[in-house]
Amino acid sequence: MSWDRVAVVGAGLIKFGELFDQSYEQMAAGAFAAAMASVDKGFEPVQVEAAMVATQRGTLWGQEGIGGNTVPTALGIAGIPCTRIENACPSGSDAFRIGAMAVASGVHDVVLVIGVEKMRDKSTEEGLLARAASGHPVYTRGESAPVLFAPFATRHMHEFGTTREMLASVAVKNHHNGTLDPYAHFQSEVTVDQVLKAPPVCHPLHLLDCCPQTDGAAATLLVNAERAREFTDNPVYVAGFGVATDHPYLHEKTTFTGLPATVKAAARAYAMAGIGPADLDLAEVHDCFTITEILDIEDLGFCEKGKGGIVSIEGETSLTGRIPVNPSGGLLAKGHPIGASGVAQLTECWWQLRGEADGRQVAIRNGFALQHNVGGRGSGVSVVNILTTNAS
Amino acid sequence: MAAAVPTVKIVAVGAALPSLRLTAADVTATWGAGPRRGTTAVCAPDEDVLTVSWHAAARALAAGGVEPTDVDGLWWGTSRPPFAEGPSLSMLAAALGLRDDIAGALNSGSTLAGIDALLSAWDAVAAGSSRVSLVVGADALRPGLGTAFEAWAGAGAAAFVLRAGDGPAALAHRATRGRPVLDRYRGDREPATRDLYDPRLFREEIFLPLVDGIAAALSDGVDTWSLPDPDGRLGAAAARRVGASSVASADAYAAAGDTGSAAPLLGAVGALAAPGVVAMVGYGGGRMSGVTIEVGAAVPGAADLARALAAGRPASYAEVLRARGELVPSGETVEMAVPPGSAAFVRGGLEMIGLLGARCIDCATISTPPSLHPACTGCGGAKLEEVALARTGTVHTFVVNHTMPAPFVAPLPLVVVDLDDGARIMLQGTSDDAATLAIDDRVELVLRRYTVERGVPVYGFKVQKAERSEEVERS
Repeated sequence: MSWDRVAVVGAGLIKFGELFDQSYEQMAAGAFAAAMASVDKGFEPVQVEAAMVATQRGTLWGQEGIGGNTVPTALGIAGIPCTRIENACPSGSDAFRIGAMAVASGVHDVVLVIGVEKMRDKSTEEGLLARAASGHPVYTRGESAPVLFAPFATRHMHEFGTTREMLASVAVKNHHNGTLDPYAHFQSEVTVDQVLKAPPVCHPLHLLDCCPQTDGAAATLLVNAERAREFTDNPVYVAGFGVATDHPYLHEKTTFTGLPATVKAAARAYAMAGIGPADLDLAEVHDCFTITEILDIEDLGFCEKGKGGIVSIEGETSLTGRIPVNPSGGLLAKGHPIGASGVAQLTECWWQLRGEADGRQVAIRNGFALQHNVGGRGSGVSVVNILTTNAS
Repeated sequence: MAAAVPTVKIVAVGAALPSLRLTAADVTATWGAGPRRGTTAVCAPDEDVLTVSWHAAARALAAGGVEPTDVDGLWWGTSRPPFAEGPSLSMLAAALGLRDDIAGALNSGSTLAGIDALLSAWDAVAAGSSRVSLVVGADALRPGLGTAFEAWAGAGAAAFVLRAGDGPAALAHRATRGRPVLDRYRGDREPATRDLYDPRLFREEIFLPLVDGIAAALSDGVDTWSLPDPDGRLGAAAARRVGASSVASADAYAAAGDTGSAAPLLGAVGALAAPGVVAMVGYGGGRMSGVTIEVGAAVPGAADLARALAAGRPASYAEVLRARGELVPSGETVEMAVPPGSAAFVRGGLEMIGLLGARCIDCATISTPPSLHPACTGCGGAKLEEVALARTGTVHTFVVNHTMPAPFVAPLPLVVVDLDDGARIMLQGTSDDAATLAIDDRVELVLRRYTVERGVPVYGFKVQKAERSEEVERS
């Protein structure tokens, strides 16, 4: 039996992309408006009792002063309790989990979870340099985001015979899904050949193995499940969640063919929801790089360890496959505005479970969707949330 | 003739050159000067006099089977210490894993510094104040752009391990002659060395008279000479003057150019492989010093010179200018989040340059670096001891980063290595290995200059594919 104390009654996002014309605050306001507009029986800003804001980038990105106090003003609800949550790439997922706990505790009945991230106000070069010179002066010097996942690709290929074509199949699928998602940063197909021949970024990953730098914002509205019907006749419930950490630095990893934090977080979330991976109708998982999705689907239990590449190239994770993965286009096509990414994935799950995903709608059989992010020097923390349409 | 001090022996030697080779013709063609023969050894962007000194010294210690902790004196001679004033000697000592109570000194001020360091160490061992002394003569000369000297200015290092008692070769005699004249010099805050004189004036009035003085003092019974050759022509003149039938230093000059303070020692290393009397003569700052060595048996590491001379890869003049910091991309570079003057460097400096780990007393897992790991990554225990990490290992996985803007260089490998002591570490690799690196490759850790941050060099270890010769030795 699922945990069912919290319902999601609204969710929405702004179109992701290089939003040079929008400020952090304007993006937040856009996502909030979209979430309110999605509430079937209407929603007014004053109904928000508290907010959790997910923004990951801090001092390096000009968002030093952006904290819990900035967003309520931007949304016209200054005065409410509001806290910024930073937990690496899963910041949005974790803000959602913490928001759900705030509702479940009975302290608040209506909580806004909003993720907002400005990735493109800094030039790519500036961002790369800032990233590569941060942290330990020797042990992390020269790291960029692909460095945190490419070693897993190298090792996965070595141990399991995973090929670049298998990695490419993930990009091809997610870009295809992106063409069906009006909110996606990229809306065009790519071919296997294009992925293989794209310029190398961080061997063995090439350009189309990598997600773009994207600005964006997304928001969800969580309410006490007992009050869900005040807002909608079609609520989605929080069925379970799990968080786990792992040693952050790459040289501390005990394996380069999987992410133990994801395995642990998933086990906790499945146990809380009372389901297993076979019960899921879809999953929105962290595909910052093609290899990451392959690791994810193994670690989340969708296939055997080592088989992620084969499962992907054989289409089992496509919109009509055994377990559709990243119907929204994923981070690869939809984009990865870090704090917003998890909240946007949850929005996609919400739409899918309600049958509102238009051309990318997957078949809903059991009424369960899983959302997952991993991050923190790559894979130091993993968060899994499970949503369901099943009230117990 | 100076008094003999026959009790001080050379028990091991080592040699190292930086990784780039520049042809003299490339330099002269750039400036529209007449062609010159030969190549010079020059530093890559992540090499300098300290890294090449470390390499030669580490090889000498390994060749002689000398434990770093047995060394009680470090004598470093270089005209180009990484800091004009600063922790040069203590950083070299830490990188080599020497004791923190090490005696010794940094000799500098001219390219005679290598011989000066040797003489200082010789005296210390002879006097009994040092039991085992490590001598490093090293330089990475920085000539003025477009000077005649530029096509001949090189970099390299040679290391000698001295001790009293038994040993294959003995330090025998010494002699010094000097004149208070100004020749090559560099003023305070000047980046490049100036070359003052008309070459004929220098040769006739300064250089050859000094050679005559040294020859008069030392030449009896000498079989082989290591002779100074600051411009590519003076070496031959000196050889004629001393009546040398064999000049051991010619190969090193041909491959590496003038290696300054390293030159006399580097030129002698190869000659220590066979019995006989070797004379090594250095020049710099208006002084010339010579030392004779009586070789009874091959000195461990003497064959290292040939390896060092054969290594390296060709580099264009433009690449060398970039490495020397004279060809700089426009735009701002980014400073590290952790400046070298910060507490993080005080806490973490030794574990970085000395390559330390924290070994768990309970489960033997090694976590690196210690300052980030108050608890064991294996079992969570808090009983840890600091240990020096193994310097060799096997590639577990790796990436090659292609996208880094300057000052980073592409392709930049980052390598996860399983060290031979069981520790796992991730460090930068070298661009030269980028194309061929593979899982399960044998690798060694080498000292490199990671960056020059706010004018301060920052050192740490990088991963390099193991040299074939060492694989043979190991098997």
